[in-house]
Amino acid sequence: MRSKRIRLAALAASGVTLTLLAAACSGSSYSSGSKPAKASVFTYDTYTQVMIDGWDPATEYSNGIIAMSNMYQTLTHYNPVTRQVDPELATSWSHSANGLTWTFQLRHGVYFHTGRLMTAAAASAAILRAKKLGGGAGYIWDSVKSIDTPSQYTMVFHLSYPSPLDLEASADYSAYIYDTQAAGAGGSLTKWLNTPHDAGTGPYTLQTWNSGQEFEVILRKFPKYWGGWHGSHYTKVVFRVVPQDTTAAQLLRSGQVNFVEQMSPTLWKSLQGASGVTLASSPSWQNLLAQLNSRALSLPVREAISYGTDYAGIIAALGGAATQSSGIVPAGLFGHFTNLPSYSYDPAKAIRLLHSAGYGPGKKALKLTLTFTAGDSNEQVVASLLKSSLSRLNISLSVQPLAWATQWSKAKSGSAAAHQDIFMEYWWPDYADPYSWFVNLLQGEKQPYFNLSYYSSPPLNKQIGQVESLVATNRSAGSALYRQMQVEILKQAPIVFLFNTNYQYAMTKNFSGFQINPAYPNVIFAYDLHPSS
Amino acid sequence: MLVFVARRLALAVVVVVGVIVVTFAVAHLVPGDPASVWAGPHASAAQVAAARKFLGLDRPVAVQLLSYLGGILRGNWGTSIHTHRAVLSDIMTAAPATLELVITALLIAVVLGVPLGLVSARHPGRPADQLIRAGSILGVSMPVFWMALILQLIFSQKLHLLPAAGEYSPGLLFSHPLVKRTGFPVIDSILGGNGPMLGSTLVHLILPAVVVASYPAGLIARMVRAQVLDTIGDTHILNARALGFGEAQIFGRFAMKLAWPPVAAALALVFGYSLVNTFLVESIFDWPGLGSYAAASIATLDTPAILGVTLFVAIAYVVANLVVDIVQAAIDPRVRPA
Amino acid sequence: MIETPTLPPLDASLPRGAALWRGLRANPLLAVGGALVLLIVVVAVLAPLIAPFPGDAGNASHPFSVLHAPSPAHWFGTDQVGRDILSRVIYGTRVSPVIAVIVLVIACAIGVPLGVAAGFLGGWVDELIMRITDIFLAFPPLLLALALASVLPASLTSLTIAIAAVWWPWYVRLLRGQAASVAGRPYVESCRALGISRRRIIFRHILPNALTPLLVQVSLDVGGVILTASALSFLGLGAQDPTPDWGLMVAEGQSYFTPDWWLVTFPGLAILVTAFAFNLLGDGLRDLLDPKRSLLL
Repeated sequence: MRSKRIRLAALAASGVTLTLLAAACSGSSYSSGSKPAKASVFTYDTYTQVMIDGWDPATEYSNGIIAMSNMYQTLTHYNPVTRQVDPELATSWSHSANGLTWTFQLRHGVYFHTGRLMTAAAASAAILRAKKLGGGAGYIWDSVKSIDTPSQYTMVFHLSYPSPLDLEASADYSAYIYDTQAAGAGGSLTKWLNTPHDAGTGPYTLQTWNSGQEFEVILRKFPKYWGGWHGSHYTKVVFRVVPQDTTAAQLLRSGQVNFVEQMSPTLWKSLQGASGVTLASSPSWQNLLAQLNSRALSLPVREAISYGTDYAGIIAALGGAATQSSGIVPAGLFGHFTNLPSYSYDPAKAIRLLHSAGYGPGKKALKLTLTFTAGDSNEQVVASLLKSSLSRLNISLSVQPLAWATQWSKAKSGSAAAHQDIFMEYWWPDYADPYSWFVNLLQGEKQPYFNLSYYSSPPLNKQIGQVESLVATNRSAGSALYRQMQVEILKQAPIVFLFNTNYQYAMTKNFSGFQINPAYPNVIFAYDLHPSS
Repeated sequence: MLVFVARRLALAVVVVVGVIVVTFAVAHLVPGDPASVWAGPHASAAQVAAARKFLGLDRPVAVQLLSYLGGILRGNWGTSIHTHRAVLSDIMTAAPATLELVITALLIAVVLGVPLGLVSARHPGRPADQLIRAGSILGVSMPVFWMALILQLIFSQKLHLLPAAGEYSPGLLFSHPLVKRTGFPVIDSILGGNGPMLGSTLVHLILPAVVVASYPAGLIARMVRAQVLDTIGDTHILNARALGFGEAQIFGRFAMKLAWPPVAAALALVFGYSLVNTFLVESIFDWPGLGSYAAASIATLDTPAILGVTLFVAIAYVVANLVVDIVQAAIDPRVRPA
Repeated sequence: MIETPTLPPLDASLPRGAALWRGLRANPLLAVGGALVLLIVVVAVLAPLIAPFPGDAGNASHPFSVLHAPSPAHWFGTDQVGRDILSRVIYGTRVSPVIAVIVLVIACAIGVPLGVAAGFLGGWVDELIMRITDIFLAFPPLLLALALASVLPASLTSLTIAIAAVWWPWYVRLLRGQAASVAGRPYVESCRALGISRRRIIFRHILPNALTPLLVQVSLDVGGVILTASALSFLGLGAQDPTPDWGLMVAEGQSYFTPDWWLVTFPGLAILVTAFAFNLLGDGLRDLLDPKRSLLL
């Protein structure tokens, strides 16, 4: 049984502003009177708190990775250009023919921020702890039966079924390697971590945490980082919380922040040509889903909603921030197909389906509730458009913007009466693989966790249980199975796939080395950037 | 005098207790069952009952109220659902920034409102008066959140004259760090001799303070005008005229002195109202005060934090009224009851 | 036959005819205020006829024409789902002003009886009512309304209840003052001695004389309630999409504000103009009816 994980949908909405202290305020005419700072600081601007889930790298499951991925590292690292994983804390790896044994060689001379040397034993302890705790994306280690450490830098994984361990080791959640001995012999590691402290191997380490305040997290460089500090690097990274994206844009224009993660599409477009500002846009592996309550809504009603959604209208209204979904798996991932039998906006068909169920114009009105994460202007636009297009089908949609924690706990609650009819959230994978959508959103659950369409189909559950091993042993058969699952899911319509997100980033021009990596959503690896001053 | 102060203080205490009771009542209006929210979505009936016991919700309402009252007095104002920290400590961290903002705004309001009110009263019915009256009514009719956005757009975005947001320029965080002594950035930079920081904090204060000052300025101008016009026909003014004092002197020395008491009372009122207006303005300017905290709490429906802020502002308002009453009584014996 | 003594009016009553005209001429602010209020009422009544796209005030959406700048096709531009902002601003006159009226009716319905009781009966009734009133008045109105609205499900109904719940104390104070000053008069003692019921005194003497100051207070309060209601909707505690509430429109338009300034500018301007109009009217009425009254708000 796969363990469940938590995902924070609000990450997409946070505008993280990076303030660069090294560059003088470019573009602002009023003088702040500051001397140029000796430290090179990179400021990442977000609109919501960064460290919401706590400081444990094994159970972190939301925005925290934007800070954590600068303090912690993984064995492998996904390369979006080659679509393979590169060495990070592991330098090489291989697996047996039957896929049940994986051998990883670790990098020598890597030190944790606590001062201890990273060895195979230390890395195993971190991975086994993530697996044991099961929080965050701990399920990625489910296939691991045991880990041997025949030498100081060699890890041998014994799996209970074949699975792509090198890919899983590059995950953005629960794959961090850290010092499990940090709290000492008798101490509680969780407590030590939440003080907060960080026990990672990354280029930056925690300097200050001002919980609930504007300059929330400040990181400073770790001098003994194994990558070294030759050349031009940032010595500090600041995570700054700015609630309004219009303010964030203004801060960017005046050079007080280096990077704004996300803002409304027109605001982003308006920054075109602003001096000192550069824009970057690329497809992502993130999609916006409307999970339809399959216990409350019958199949004809779910199909009607799928036909009653104005997909093209949503794409048009979001002005470049969204692209049409094709099936469940976004482009760029294994398991993506462009020719699946998808829905299009067809109100006439929707009305016929509703009439067959006794609803629709002229018949009984249908009253539904939709919840989405408050503060995300794109979700709000989609909710308004849905409400509008469904009203033409005599469906009265009551839209409730809620804080993520409230939205999710309502959906998970033990009483089915409290459940919404439509749950809107973003989804993205834990590692570069389509498996995440299926195991989290569509596998039957006794207690609701992320399967918030409350959907259960025993044949599908079986297929989900098989697909990872199948991919590892017979890639084309695995691909066919993914296709088959998607076709069936689209037919059953437990989820409406509203759009795929296009990242729209805005940043200052005074650094180089920036690369968008969809495997690590909205993460900036500050070490890879080179300030131009 | 002492009797007056004692009576007034006693009344204030009664009012504060009443305020706490009202806040308690609002807290218990929350729809839904706090016990099952606490126990979590997977709890069994037994666990929910245990949670109810733990939270003390199984006790009679009167006992809960007394315990709540005791908690408030001991400094336990609840824990924020959002920040997971004590609400009182969150409020204490945020309060100085807001107080700095409100006090600056009130200064601007008095500096603007009093002279305008006097000018208006000097020539009642004439164009200047009509204009000032229209202007002050405009001030009290202003939706502050809109004014904040518009001013930010014009002065920061378009004209680049003033900073868009924040309490000070973030570059100074590292080059000229502020040593926290009082918690008020302006005072701390003066105390620390931190020139660049002082300049930066003052410049960043301008837009938010002007926005918050709009309502008090309008109100004070109207009040000064009305009070001066009211007293201008009084005998001692006529006497002053008869004695040969010029109009300007009459306005400056006599009328204003007599007009002052209600204006002072109005200061307490606008202090309270301005504190609440910051809820609408601070998040637009990224001002790290109570207003941003309240707005964030409202957005996340963090009931303990919302009620904590409500209680804090209400108590501040009561204290402000108390202080003004006592000061006025000290200055003007006629105010005290016989 | 016993003649029922009538009380002289305590305050100036509404002037008639020529006196009214003279009053208006001398008081241009009142004239402007009155004209604006009349305009707003006319717009509210005729909204379906005036608005170019009446459907846009409801569930309509036009995703292919979102965020268009003001142009002859859409004088105030379009919003983030393509709705015509001019039409929504026009229909907005049916939202906040109507809520203000409902709130004030409720506030009077609660405040007037309590105030009369306190002022007229005096004694412990007076003390009790006034202490409770003092406690409610210890909160700035928006503050308590906000706290109340945050625990109720977000809707216009909750908003109306929340504001009404904080607005009634002012009316208690006002009516108490009126009733107390009547109750203290010698006429009333003689009336009572003659066996005339309290009820009669209240309805024949107190209320008619209180009408004018009540009217002035109500017209002054409309602006304040409109500002409070838009502030609550701005915070997300009141109107919900697609209701064409001006405060909600400003909140929704905030994310688009810097390039697409029209989403925020026109609804906010509508709030300003409406509050301004009612405040002008109230101010002018007060000057007309009782120029000597000292003002607090």
